Amino acid sequence: MPRFALAIPAWAWLLVFFIAPVAMVVWFSFGYKPGIFGTHANDVLSFDRYLEALSPTFFSTFLNTLWIGLAGTALCLVIGLPVAYWMAVKAPPSRRGLLIALVMVPFWTNFLVRTIGWQVILAPEGWLSSLLQDVGLIAGPIDILYTRTAVLIGVVYNYLPLMILPLYVAFDRVGAPLREASKDLGADRWRTFVRVTLPLARPGLIAGVLLVFIPLMGDYITATVLGGAKGNMVGQLVASQFQAAQNWALGSAMAVMLIVVIMLTVAIGALVVWLVVIPFRSRNRLVLGDGREEAPAAPVAVPADREPQEVGS
Amino acid sequence: MTIREAQAPMESKVRRSKRSWSDVALSVWGVLVFLFLFAPIIVIIVSAFNTGRLLVAWDGFGFDGFVALLEKPAIRDAVWVSIQTGAIAALVATLLGTLAGIAMARHPGKWVFWFIGLLLLVSVTPEIVDAVALLPWLVFLGQDLGIGLFNDGIVRLVVGHSLFSTAVVSYIVRARLVGLDAQLEEASADLYAKPFATFRRVTLPLAMPAVLAGFLLSFTLSLDNTIIAAFVQVSGTTPWPVYVLSALRSGLRPEIASVSTIMLVLTLVALGLVAFVLRRAGDSATQIARTMTGN
Repeated sequence: MPRFALAIPAWAWLLVFFIAPVAMVVWFSFGYKPGIFGTHANDVLSFDRYLEALSPTFFSTFLNTLWIGLAGTALCLVIGLPVAYWMAVKAPPSRRGLLIALVMVPFWTNFLVRTIGWQVILAPEGWLSSLLQDVGLIAGPIDILYTRTAVLIGVVYNYLPLMILPLYVAFDRVGAPLREASKDLGADRWRTFVRVTLPLARPGLIAGVLLVFIPLMGDYITATVLGGAKGNMVGQLVASQFQAAQNWALGSAMAVMLIVVIMLTVAIGALVVWLVVIPFRSRNRLVLGDGREEAPAAPVAVPADREPQEVGS
Repeated sequence: MTIREAQAPMESKVRRSKRSWSDVALSVWGVLVFLFLFAPIIVIIVSAFNTGRLLVAWDGFGFDGFVALLEKPAIRDAVWVSIQTGAIAALVATLLGTLAGIAMARHPGKWVFWFIGLLLLVSVTPEIVDAVALLPWLVFLGQDLGIGLFNDGIVRLVVGHSLFSTAVVSYIVRARLVGLDAQLEEASADLYAKPFATFRRVTLPLAMPAVLAGFLLSFTLSLDNTIIAAFVQVSGTTPWPVYVLSALRSGLRPEIASVSTIMLVLTLVALGLVAFVLRRAGDSATQIARTMTGN
């Protein structure tokens, strides 16, 4: 029996229901829509659908998606990092289980339902609108539903737990002893955070950014519920080509383009970060011994058994 | 008054004022973000008790939304389809994922690298791409190849919902077994247990907490799946998120919030069970958080 015998069923299942369908979409993307009633044809192969997907009409949606993806990820990082740090370092250890559970609740609430919650909040006739008007902060009803701003609020909300949780895990792993050592050696709290805690939490930082950015780029629901015509994203474009327009060839090309754009952005982002970090490397090496990010597993003496709280209770 | 007595209150005062600005700012920020995280959920739960005709416009407090659920068979059917699909999809994902996870942990080799690559690919592919890919593929299998099974609504949903879950279960089971020494299995083999007996009596019980957690996670993932479901569903077997999605176009009524609230409670119960199972198996809160986000 080969070593991977037990993995064969899963492998076969994913081959038939994941690899094959995606390969079929890639194949469709080189075809064309034959007529009003056809959805796809592949007797003539070309890259024309890709050019069509890049035409000004659709290209603006790609740009819009990329903008929302980058801005949303950046906002998630800015909002989520202090929260994760607070949960892992400042909050009393006995309450950490509860706090994690509280972050999990929105994460596990149905994606569509929580987005509808925002639709209700942002509605011009909703309570937030009337509250802000009563207070006198705004003159008329709030007018952000069905705009790019609404989509941005929605995606930041929807993906924020995916930023907080890996960052929390990373900060938690750094452990108190290293921070105390840094303070004993004369670093103030800001220096300790920037030179010790943050570099050691880098794996969590990278995981959080990827966990937010990748699904955010492919988002379909947030833009559908909150975006309307003005806040269009590629996910909707792909869906509408498959459903309303019945142009599977063009829809497939857009889907492939979406994946390519995501991979390219991640690659470029990684390159930029790498180039920016180079000058700081030698400095950090002094602090971290050999400068490698490998697991600071040893000094973890923290939570687990001492926590009376039950996660999810 | 001794020097020490005089210093003590001053010291504590200094410490408190030193702690203040950044720590207080962090705590305030934390509380604000938690309010942000719960705002729409609270809105939905409150709306569930709205007696008005539209979800957005508050009318009065009452249980009309929940009563409407009992009266409208369409929503009830949708919930039932979701539960059936969730159970079957979770079974499929757990079976496939457990076997794959055990193979990865106990029979490592070069293949694991490629297999994890495949699982990663499944996890990072945008759901909308999976969805538009499965639609023509299932049409191809069901109609062009004439495999009638794939025209069945539940089967199509199960196929769509099982993909990501299979990857999640594989990760969890592998992580659990990699953390445990293989000596127990070796001892079992030394004591002349046949490979299958070792598998059933030693390996599987060791992996059991992860298997159970994986099953419940798969169930909730399936219960919440909207995008793939919207594409592969056949009319007649509409799961509840897709029903909500279609209600979005025709106007949201309070019963949508009511059914959402009930499903939220169901999901939280399942997740509470996951946390309980993992906790019993000795995981820390941090490990549980990692497991539940699938990394």
